[in-house]
Amino acid sequence: MSSTPASHEPLNTREQTLHWSWRGVCSRRHLQALAVFLCLGAAKLPVEEAATQHLRTAKLLTAPVSLGLRESLGQMSFAASLGGLRSLVASVTYLRAYREWENINWAKVDSLFQLTTRLQPMYPNYWDEAAWHMAYNAASSYLYNEEINPMLRGQLYEQHVQRGVNILLEGLRFLPDDARLWTALAEIYDQRLHDHRKAATCYLQVHRISRQDRYARFAGYQYAQASDPDSWEKGYDLLKAAYDKKQRQPSVIDQLKNLEEKLRIPLPLRIPDAHQALENPQSLIGPMR
Amino acid sequence: MSISFSPARIWTLASATVTQLVRMKILAFLLVFCVIVVAAGFAFPVMNPEQQLKLLKDVSFGALQVFSVVIAIVSTALLLPRDLEDRTLYTILSKPVPRFEYLLGKLIGVLVLIGTGLILMDIAFSAVLWIRQNLVLDQSITALKQQGVATPEAIAQLNDFVGRQGLTWNVHLGVLAIFLKAAVITALALMISCFASSTLFTVVITFCVTIIGHGQGLIREQFLRGTFSTFVEKTFSALLAIITPDLSVFDVVDNVINGELVTSASLGIMIGTAAMYVVGYAVVSHLLFVEKEL
Repeated sequence: MSSTPASHEPLNTREQTLHWSWRGVCSRRHLQALAVFLCLGAAKLPVEEAATQHLRTAKLLTAPVSLGLRESLGQMSFAASLGGLRSLVASVTYLRAYREWENINWAKVDSLFQLTTRLQPMYPNYWDEAAWHMAYNAASSYLYNEEINPMLRGQLYEQHVQRGVNILLEGLRFLPDDARLWTALAEIYDQRLHDHRKAATCYLQVHRISRQDRYARFAGYQYAQASDPDSWEKGYDLLKAAYDKKQRQPSVIDQLKNLEEKLRIPLPLRIPDAHQALENPQSLIGPMR
Repeated sequence: MSISFSPARIWTLASATVTQLVRMKILAFLLVFCVIVVAAGFAFPVMNPEQQLKLLKDVSFGALQVFSVVIAIVSTALLLPRDLEDRTLYTILSKPVPRFEYLLGKLIGVLVLIGTGLILMDIAFSAVLWIRQNLVLDQSITALKQQGVATPEAIAQLNDFVGRQGLTWNVHLGVLAIFLKAAVITALALMISCFASSTLFTVVITFCVTIIGHGQGLIREQFLRGTFSTFVEKTFSALLAIITPDLSVFDVVDNVINGELVTSASLGIMIGTAAMYVVGYAVVSHLLFVEKEL
């Protein structure tokens, strides 16, 4: 059979398919659809940006902290892979951490809480509980574990207390105005690290946020226990202010008396001795107990 | 002869779509949901009251999201191929029904189904949450009485605390946000199905776009801030930001669970954003479908 020129031949099936597809893709309507889609895509960007900013201001969306590009992209892919199920997954990892706590597996507790707090950084309970596990439970568990070398025990204790502090500091990057986290940090500095200056600073933050006078008093107690005169002066000012506001608990009076001695406050400026008030309950000059 | 726009015709198509989807036994998920909610509601009684209520809300909202996204993608992807297979599409379009009315009917039908499903699940969830909230409150008050510290102030504080973690209007607004996200995904799936070659293609592509859509906000921010340095990174991020919707705008549920209030302005913004996507994708769907060879 003689061959005929290709142009006169009917299109074979494959060619027909390609021909149809090309026409289909390039039809006027398809180009219009593509144009509308791209215009919508470009026009929506400022709308999305404004909506996101508004919802972040309303605290309905969590604003990302200023992280490096690599970490931001890591966070992004993590968020994207879970969609809107972050809260649910956080609950599951929290429950797993709870079980590992019962098994006294501190490394696992830490890693699971790290995951939980990453998933829901705006939920203060997770930060608080993660820090509590490390600074109190894990630290004490290692300190009193007689199977471990005594030198190593002390080191592990300090490392886990510091881990608790780091967890709270990271949580405060997301929730800088959370009184609960500042209180937890103050307690670790006070009870675990005996760093009274830092504990006082944390209590002052709680006072700034909650506007409750007792936290200024707590800061005063911490400054009074510090070892430098600058802190004593700050503590004296805070406790004297509390005393002048008629907050005259025994602890306030004891610390003030102590600080008056340490700072060598002139006698006329000192608060009256407690026994005067006891001898004369009607007196207005004595401490009100 | 021009055919006038007919809401009644669209509604008829939407009702038929709902019937078609109900016959596919899609709502069986409701039963599964009820079992999950009841189990989550009465599991882990040793946890503190706040955690118990939070866990119930986490599980229920998670199930609601899975239900709405899966139904939005799968049911929409199935609609056009099923109508082609059954020849229903030819019967409908041989009558004086414009193609955009057919598409609108399908879209509204899926949205009605998802909306009804979410309302039913919200009712079941609210009932369990309310019962659990009262049980937790009773247990906490009993514990206070046993410790001898059940002062009126302590009870009032406990009431307030459990009340905020329990059933509020805010919970329903969280469900509404889930519906809005599902509406956007439905419109997206419909648009993709208008040029897709198979149901599987529609399902896979829509799932991929949905996943990227949850991270689109961060890609967009990095792009707008000019964080990317190379040309390839810039082009790729711009393209992703343009072609995918920002679904994280509707992810307010996480913070609603933690007690943040959905204001009317925020609700308006979410509804407006969802409407923008749905209308935009519906227009593109129409342009793709209006001259499609069937």
